[in-house]
Amino acid sequence: MSTGNPGLIGKAIRIKGELHGEEDLIIEGKVEGTIALKKNHLILERSAVIAASVEVENITIKGQMNGNTSASNRVEITSDAKVVGDIKAPRIVMAEGARFRGQVDMDVKLPPGV
Amino acid sequence: MDGDKTATVLGPTVEIEGEIEGEEDLVIQGRIQGKIVSRKDLTVDSSGKVEASISTKNLAVSGMLVGNVTATERVEVRKEGKMVGDIKAPRVVIADGAKFKGNIEMGVD
Repeated sequence: MSTGNPGLIGKAIRIKGELHGEEDLIIEGKVEGTIALKKNHLILERSAVIAASVEVENITIKGQMNGNTSASNRVEITSDAKVVGDIKAPRIVMAEGARFRGQVDMDVKLPPGV
Repeated sequence: MDGDKTATVLGPTVEIEGEIEGEEDLVIQGRIQGKIVSRKDLTVDSSGKVEASISTKNLAVSGMLVGNVTATERVEVRKEGKMVGDIKAPRVVIADGAKFKGNIEMGVD
């Protein structure tokens, strides 16, 4: 995660296309396409409407997200979030009240014989 | 789901291969293989190892569960829980530290 203040995409912003970056980012607006912040933390605020495939280190989802997410560390889906898509990450937290539909993969290893 | 409520407890040494059907709370600390149908709360305790398809009202997983689950109310995978299988329930909670792999369907439009 980078130091310093995270970037901000405000409520009145709409982006369609590819977004790459190397800093933490807060999105309050609409993004359609792909988001790649491979070493950073992405925060999708309650007002955010995302239709994108996302690749990040950490992500906190509070808004609406449609698309697949891959995180190298942690995914947090808060109680206000509505998520449709697949998630792959070593750590995933889903809060009470969150709405989710999709596949979850935390790379679970089961002991033999189970 | 914990607390003083009376519940059937299948202890750590209990192993069942087959079907369990019940209308009272059930706590599993042993090993179950097969199918579980409950109209109340089902808890897979930290020592529990369950390989079964489950239909219940509420489910809490602190142990290990392999199988598909349909719950009419709520499914919670707690921090020490490990689950592989699909979940269909209106409310699903995954705690930090829990391990899960599978599909989740909460009936989102």
